[in-house]
Amino acid sequence: MINRRQFTLGAAGLAGLSAMSLPRMARAGRADRLNILCWEGYNSDQVLNPFRELYPGATVRAESGTSDPEMINRLRAGEIGTWDLINVNQPWARGEMLRDNLIRPLNKDRFLPYFEKMTPEFSKPYPLAFADNGDLLGMPQRYGPFSFVVNTDKISQDMAEDQGWSLFLDPAMQGRYGLLTYDNWNVIHLCLAAGIHPFQPVEGDALQKFTDTAKQIVAGAKLMTDDLVAMNTALINGEIDCYFTGGTYTASPARYDGALFVRGITPRSGPIEGKGGASWVELTSAVNNPDPSDLAEEFLEFVQKPEIAEVVAFAEGTYNPVAQMGNPEVMARFDDEKLEAIQFDTLEEEMSRCLEFDVVPSYDELLAVYVAARRG
Amino acid sequence: MERLERRLGLLSALPIGILLLLSFVMPLLLVAGFAVMPQKVFELAHLPDFSSFAVIWEQGYYKSLLRSLGLAFLTTVILFLVSWPLAYGMAKVFGRFTLVITILVVLILFVSENIRLFGWSLSLMKGGLLEGYLRAWFGFSFETPLYDWPVIVFGMCYVYFPFMLFPLAQGISLVPDDARLAASDLGASPARILFEIEMPLAAPGIMVGCLLTFVLSAGAVAEAKLLGGRSVIVLTDDVESAFTFGQNWPLGSALSLTLIVIVALLALVPISRIDLDAIMGRKR
Repeated sequence: MINRRQFTLGAAGLAGLSAMSLPRMARAGRADRLNILCWEGYNSDQVLNPFRELYPGATVRAESGTSDPEMINRLRAGEIGTWDLINVNQPWARGEMLRDNLIRPLNKDRFLPYFEKMTPEFSKPYPLAFADNGDLLGMPQRYGPFSFVVNTDKISQDMAEDQGWSLFLDPAMQGRYGLLTYDNWNVIHLCLAAGIHPFQPVEGDALQKFTDTAKQIVAGAKLMTDDLVAMNTALINGEIDCYFTGGTYTASPARYDGALFVRGITPRSGPIEGKGGASWVELTSAVNNPDPSDLAEEFLEFVQKPEIAEVVAFAEGTYNPVAQMGNPEVMARFDDEKLEAIQFDTLEEEMSRCLEFDVVPSYDELLAVYVAARRG
Repeated sequence: MERLERRLGLLSALPIGILLLLSFVMPLLLVAGFAVMPQKVFELAHLPDFSSFAVIWEQGYYKSLLRSLGLAFLTTVILFLVSWPLAYGMAKVFGRFTLVITILVVLILFVSENIRLFGWSLSLMKGGLLEGYLRAWFGFSFETPLYDWPVIVFGMCYVYFPFMLFPLAQGISLVPDDARLAASDLGASPARILFEIEMPLAAPGIMVGCLLTFVLSAGAVAEAKLLGGRSVIVLTDDVESAFTFGQNWPLGSALSLTLIVIVALLALVPISRIDLDAIMGRKR
């Protein structure tokens, strides 16, 4: 039997709990809060603490997601009023987030000058950061080529670059490679392996070719996982010789640990305008929060600083080139070990062999085919 | 007086009861609502259609469902066979040592499932803890058991072991020693005692253990991903893909609903036949 004192205690506890959860909605004033939904790195204290020192009165929070669509889903599911910045790969800003009013344009006067100091890929400036009407949708920072990864002790870099995607269609490679299941990337890479343009509608014969290629590559994979650490471990242990879908982003943690034989490869030639690789660029966009925070643009400007750009590049988990490396001040902060981890020696050349990333128009059909191939 | 007290109790429990019911039922209703929405919509304000269920059939999602159920069934059978002797010992033989076993098994639960599974992955992989040391010390090597379906069943057996062991031990403790001794005195063989005395009397524990294990295994995803290397795509994997990369909430909801309904139906039959009060020791 509960006595009155216990009941009162319980009720007080409940009231306390609800009081803790309510104010987030009610207290919506806007230089006192910044919530960032991002890939790992931006949420590290190395990046956030210096910003917190600049704005001691503000609550600065960042949370990392596990995939682009998962983060966008959260905005759709009602968290648009929670987040102020979202950091995802480039196809989503133009493709889905702008269409569904999940993001709002940035101040061009404030941010366009930063493009001039970026690496050549971005200083033009970078077209996918802009909407068709010229609005600035997000700021680029981390980027990299993203095709596949090999153990260069088993397959030489030269041979891998030369063979390109046909490496995975070679019957001798059956059971010797892994498939890193980043589904949206797999679809693009399967198109390239099938010799199809991923950024144009895929129908008829091309769809059949995609289906056959997807089945063959899935069937020949020794393991499939969405965990890059598990995949690198399998590569280092000799379980597999290479893996389908990967690049600097996935190879760099192993390389920074000294396993320099783990290397991201960009095919030397390919089916689309001679290009066979693909690249990713993260864009950080302002969420279309009904109660926007002024700190969103402050933070975007803050991460352009040389010392912060370096921290973003080597924050935690994975290590990546940043667009700000076009600025000599930023570049000076990277030692040889770091440059080797992110394969800086070949970065520009590899990026030039990559397709300019765009929305995949037949994504739904292709994903269904690919997922069905995985189900067997 | 007793009636008044009971009514007051009911009334006091009503607010929290409604809150609990809502928090349990609302997500399920949302899933059910989205399951009948047209493809790729993100709100419930559409005319219902059943296209997601057509997609499940046309695109062969039932294969993943059958695989999930098959693996769950196999896991349940293996766990039952493995746990029975230990549970029997805990209930009838070990005495105080039972507490040590209980603590040891419960301690494992303090470590996150993913970390434990990743530990197995590192142990079983080529050049990993087992193969690496065996090769270095004895020159003996073997192919990794990872990335195939048996290792998924192994992983699920390992993770869901406590969920079978404890209900089973509880069930066996319900078997009166007198009944067993009487059967033995009357000349029953050990096998006959097992099948005709012990198992029927321990049935509530067996049912609860099997149900818990089956339901949890049918909804498991980490084992197939971390150990199985996605060599087998289970239904929960498809649900995750539909919600994330597929951006197709109705399909993901329809897949979830199908699994929920099938597992619920499979679970209802045994639940209707056991007396939960008996296993809780509250039978008057």
